[in-house]
Amino acid sequence: MLIKRSDAKVQKSRLQSALGELSSGVLDRRSFLRRAGFAAGAVGVANLPLGSVKRAEAAALTPGVAVKTVKSVCTHCSVGCSVIAEVQNDVWVRQEPAFDSPINRGSHCAKGASVRELVKGTRRLRTPMKLVDGQWQRISWDVAIDEISAKLLKIREDQGPESVFWLGSAKFSNEGAYLYRKLAAFWGTNSADHQARICHSTTVAGVANTWGYGAMTNSYNDIRNAKTMVIMGGNPAEAHPVSLQHILAGKELNRANLVVIDPRFTRTAAHATDYIRIRPGSDIPTIYGILWHVFENKWEDTNFIAQRVYGMDDVRKEVAKWTPDEVQRVNGVEGEQLKRVAYMMTHEKPATLIWCMGATQKTVGTANVRAYCILLLATGNVGSAGTGANIFRGHCNVQGATDAGLDVTSLPYYYGLAEGAWRHWARVWDVDYDYLLSRFDSKTMMEASGIPTTRWFDAVLAKKEDIDQRNPVRAMMVFGHGGNTVTRMPEMVKGLEALDLLVVADPHPTTLAVVSERKNGTYLLPICTQFETSGSRTASNRSIQWSSEVVKPIWESKDDYEVMYRLAVKLGFADKMFKNIAVENMRPVPEDILREINRGSWSTGYTGQSPERLKAHMAQQDRFNLVTLRGKGGDVDGDFYGLPWPCWGTPDKKHPGTHILYNTSLHVKDGGGTFRARFGVERNGATLLAEGSYSLGSEIKDGYPEVTLGVLKKLGWDGELTEAEAAVIAKIGGKTPDAVAWSTDLSGGIVRVCLEHGIVPYGNAKARANAFNLPDPIPVHREPIYTGRPDLVAKYPTLPDFRSFRLTNIGATVQKRAVDLGVTKNFPIVLTSGRLVEYEGGGEETRSNPWLAELQQDMFVEINPADAAARGITNGQMVWVTGAENNSRAHVKAQVTERVGPGVAFMPFHFAGWFQGVDQRAKYPKGADPYVLGESVNALTTYGYDPVTAMQETKCTLCQIATVAA
Amino acid sequence: MSSLALVKRIVLAGVFALSMHAASAQTLPDDSAGRPAAPATGLNTDKVEVHEQQLLGEMRKLQGFITIPDTRAATLVQPDGRSWRDYRRGPLLWITAACVLGMLALLLVFYAVKGEIKIAGGRGTATLLRFGAFERFMHWLTAASWCILAISGLNVVAGRAVLLPLMGNDAFSLFSTWAKYSHNFLAFPFIAGIVLMFLVWLRHNIPNKIDVEWFKQGGGFIGNKHPPSEKFNGGQKVVFWIVVLGGGALTVTGLALMFPFYVTDITGMQLAQLAHGGVALLMIAAMLGHIYIGSVGMEGAFDAMKDGRVDLKWAREHHSLWAAKELAKSGDTSPHPAE
Amino acid sequence: MARMKFLCDADRCIECNACVTACKNANEVPWGINRRRVVTINDGKPGERSVSMACMHCNDAPCAAVCPVDCFYTTADAVVLHNKDLCIGCGYCFYACPFGAPQYPKLGNFGSRGKMDKCTYCSGGPEGADGSPAEFARYGANRMAEGKLPLCAEMCSTKSLLAGDGEIIAQIYKERVLKRGYGSGSWGWQTAYQESINV
Repeated sequence: MLIKRSDAKVQKSRLQSALGELSSGVLDRRSFLRRAGFAAGAVGVANLPLGSVKRAEAAALTPGVAVKTVKSVCTHCSVGCSVIAEVQNDVWVRQEPAFDSPINRGSHCAKGASVRELVKGTRRLRTPMKLVDGQWQRISWDVAIDEISAKLLKIREDQGPESVFWLGSAKFSNEGAYLYRKLAAFWGTNSADHQARICHSTTVAGVANTWGYGAMTNSYNDIRNAKTMVIMGGNPAEAHPVSLQHILAGKELNRANLVVIDPRFTRTAAHATDYIRIRPGSDIPTIYGILWHVFENKWEDTNFIAQRVYGMDDVRKEVAKWTPDEVQRVNGVEGEQLKRVAYMMTHEKPATLIWCMGATQKTVGTANVRAYCILLLATGNVGSAGTGANIFRGHCNVQGATDAGLDVTSLPYYYGLAEGAWRHWARVWDVDYDYLLSRFDSKTMMEASGIPTTRWFDAVLAKKEDIDQRNPVRAMMVFGHGGNTVTRMPEMVKGLEALDLLVVADPHPTTLAVVSERKNGTYLLPICTQFETSGSRTASNRSIQWSSEVVKPIWESKDDYEVMYRLAVKLGFADKMFKNIAVENMRPVPEDILREINRGSWSTGYTGQSPERLKAHMAQQDRFNLVTLRGKGGDVDGDFYGLPWPCWGTPDKKHPGTHILYNTSLHVKDGGGTFRARFGVERNGATLLAEGSYSLGSEIKDGYPEVTLGVLKKLGWDGELTEAEAAVIAKIGGKTPDAVAWSTDLSGGIVRVCLEHGIVPYGNAKARANAFNLPDPIPVHREPIYTGRPDLVAKYPTLPDFRSFRLTNIGATVQKRAVDLGVTKNFPIVLTSGRLVEYEGGGEETRSNPWLAELQQDMFVEINPADAAARGITNGQMVWVTGAENNSRAHVKAQVTERVGPGVAFMPFHFAGWFQGVDQRAKYPKGADPYVLGESVNALTTYGYDPVTAMQETKCTLCQIATVAA
Repeated sequence: MSSLALVKRIVLAGVFALSMHAASAQTLPDDSAGRPAAPATGLNTDKVEVHEQQLLGEMRKLQGFITIPDTRAATLVQPDGRSWRDYRRGPLLWITAACVLGMLALLLVFYAVKGEIKIAGGRGTATLLRFGAFERFMHWLTAASWCILAISGLNVVAGRAVLLPLMGNDAFSLFSTWAKYSHNFLAFPFIAGIVLMFLVWLRHNIPNKIDVEWFKQGGGFIGNKHPPSEKFNGGQKVVFWIVVLGGGALTVTGLALMFPFYVTDITGMQLAQLAHGGVALLMIAAMLGHIYIGSVGMEGAFDAMKDGRVDLKWAREHHSLWAAKELAKSGDTSPHPAE
Repeated sequence: MARMKFLCDADRCIECNACVTACKNANEVPWGINRRRVVTINDGKPGERSVSMACMHCNDAPCAAVCPVDCFYTTADAVVLHNKDLCIGCGYCFYACPFGAPQYPKLGNFGSRGKMDKCTYCSGGPEGADGSPAEFARYGANRMAEGKLPLCAEMCSTKSLLAGDGEIIAQIYKERVLKRGYGSGSWGWQTAYQESINV
């Protein structure tokens, strides 16, 4: 018997009898509801179409006032949960579950379920502010923009355009991110960066260098198809909680393996079928430990490797060094455990590998990611349902902002910084290339990577001769970026204090406004949240969702578009920058910005996602399948939800988007694809193009390079271009029209013709197990700069010092000094950092939300019971954590827990407002201080940068923990 | 429509995650042939059995980790709440009835049989100072607050059964609110009275041989002989100790309840409430007896707390040793005439 | 007769606290009042399970039984509610409640409590008009009157927290356990309803 029932009689008290008159109508109706439900039965109702879910009655919060229902997207992570807002009189009165969204199906995490508070904004910055002799003064928008612009122009005149750093945000919409990158281009610098630098820059570099695009290959939903899920260096239960809905459903329905490999027993690990604890910083040995068993047992996917992978034999040589004994010596994991993972990934397929910042925020971040990709390639787990590199991006639009080129190494949509790229965007923007060139110090600077956000303060404090630009940085324009998310905060504070101008444009003052002893030259601009404006945002799975304005910007805040426009006006290039973008009441229209993006972003396939199509998707979410994301009926028939890029061709071509990248089992017109031919056609006599593998319906049954007009001619398909298309190509190509490629052909003709023939415009290549252009073409293990195992440094040292991003990287020097000085004597505990589900990023926004702040009121350090006992530390006690550089220290609560292993400590990275033991609450503008303040872990973190992307090291450093201050 | 909506919401809350997709589900055996077994150091968290009833069997109370500072929220399940409820709803009502109604009935019977215990030969004219003003003040301080505490306390236990049907919900809630406030505030004068009585009267209440004799003779209630006694006889000493110890216990448990979770956890508070009620009921029973004998039960007894002066004859009957000592102390064997 | 219940599938709960903030959001619950919370058993160890807990709307509810002023009542949906006009804030329901559901704003003298507040199963209170501003201000949302379930369950990130007719959600849970092959049981049901779901 299913349920043993004892007496379940409903009791009715006297009071209820007394109130019966009042409520009987309701009760009767409810009884009816239940009876109906009962009769239908659980299985019967299970099959009801979701689309018919309707609210029974109108909301009645303020009776008699019309309720407007608006669909937006949560601003807290890259899962992209839809949010339904009920609005009365421009007040967001109720938040309802968005059951129709195939991504979240009504669900939220703590953050998503509390977003309504963001536009109540009890602790938001209300007006523009200016710091005058250490006191915050309220100023008007006009004054703020005038003064900021004047100061910027003065710096430009005195120091040059490179002395202004434009730090943007992954919380911009696509349109905002694109506009910000465009603003930096018109200003004349490539030092325009955002959070992607510190979250997944190494992923983008590692993955793009492997198979073409630096994005999640599949989707959260597609994980439901996996039979083996490996999560390594990620804690999605806290970072991407709604993704666990798909992960756990997959685990349950397929009885799939859920392997969690992490130094910490996370909330995700608690649901694992196999949990493997590794030493922080030993990812590559772990991957190679798995691969060793794959190769040893000949479990690799030989057919896949032969057809679609370049250079796997080079990997074998490296892997051969990683015998189970050596692996265990370095990462502490028994061989049998990894053999089990190797078995599952090769025999219980499809298998997917999920990672997050545990893989990326390392000095070996790019190499880590490369190793992960190689594991997927060796086991044949890319390019089909249930497989793939499911990279969980961080912020709500970090994928989109990355795509939009808010990056120091590229113009929008990965065109790079070479002259051809500038000429492409000059055409799209309808400005002269020479004008853009004139904005820069020189052509060299125009084509040189900018300064990464991880090191902006080094660029402030650097001597003029130590930095590869005219002058050091003098001004920071910070839009939507916290200050406590970057390592080496004590040095960052010095950098802040040395700036002439600091502008923080954000809904909250952020750490940057209070952490230093600045007295003047600091402005705060209140920016509204994405709920107070509209625009598109790209979720981690490349689905693009249109988010509508819920309410008008609250207090005196303005949206990003308007503030950028106002700045551009005062900086003198608004007419050129907004030439083809409509501006209404000083606000550029986001739909128009997206149309400009559509016109120029051929390389990434952001061309088909017109605002109209995206809005249709949001309105018809109920038509999309939960697992395949495929639409059925209506305007969206056949589309994948959110038109995940690449969505080839112009919007009228109705390309469905690409749910799974590199998926050869579909026609390219239907979302199929191949690995991208991005690195030439052959190397050392070996082909880089695919062999015998091609996407469904391809007229070329083999590999092929990326398509240019020249290639089309060779194929004899150039005649299929329309006259208009051919004319555009001719105009672009000038003297060398054959060189015009699919990515620079603004007519879209080349792409159109390719698709007609079933070939992928970017070519059909092999993925590269050997990425010959990287510092470590085959990933090799390198110990963290501050390692807890100095004995391993001799064998596995970090890369020698080198210059990149206009600065010196002295990682090797620092590592050697740490080993020589025996830093582990004073700092014996490995310090790692990570996320709490209640907070996001630097945490100012979420710590200002009382519904969230109440749940995490204290900054803490997790310490293993053994380490705590040895130090006389009890749970809940206040302790001092000291870091290995800058005499840094933090006063935090001890959380004694077995989540961390012996010798490892963990701290969340969302706290700020305390610095080196001092409470800074009084330094916030009145009423804009977050409810919860605490020490920042990055006050303790240390030197260390990835050679490819300048990613910072947040996951492995050293610390000491004591009950009294050292 | 609304019926369907509700059902669909339930469904959305869970079932279709499974059934929509059931067709593609394919069961893998737990350890397929060939897959290496997990080593001892590997963890399969699903295989670690965790069951509520088993945990409750081990611990009575299920506690875990919680991030909010309210530590009592870390208690997930405490089935003892149900036991406490059962006690409150069953035994406690019977004990209350027994203590209050039972004691009243007993006294009624005693009165019917015995009537008022008279002073032999009636009141005289001479009186003796038995309690000074301060002693009387502290007695009445305690007594008055006690009465209100007892009534408001009884209201919490039995008001719902006795008064609510008479008063109706609103009036009863209003009354109970005030009763609660008086209970909280009057606890402090009561505690003060207990402390004072303890300090002032302790030396008169050390048990001794005379008390043994007094009890042997049944305190004079049996038969007509009055056993000798000092300022307080054996029975009064018992009352003293009941008041002091009982009052002390009520103070301790009461304060624990008045400042929830400052002193103890939920289990402690349940026990405190149990003890508070139990002791209070026993005290109520005892005090009913005390009130009886101090008023209608005995001629002349009430005078001691009225103006402090007692009939000399009464004093000699009931507190012969004390009376003699008092007279000796004053150096005057001839008592003052009554005014 | 059908009755509304909560069921937290601890094998799915990830302690994301969506239920907690959804509750705050739906009912505008002030800081310090936690109508719902998530407790993690065996934190950081194998066998870690998180359970979301609020008022379980017990049958023969202990709170109602011990209330000195009889301010509790049970709706036809078997939702246990109370009348704040009658509540005297004595705290007895907290002693009796097996789930720590009753919450008190600290308003009164000597750490005493103010009127009790707890999960209403998003069913509002005894005010006359369902969904009226007056009802919302005192008790929070009345979603049930609109044919909606409590927001905590509707927004649960992993569909761990189920709300609805006890029979239906038990069936859902049972299907899940059969499908996946494990289940740590219906937490709190034995204590709240003297029954458990046996698979």
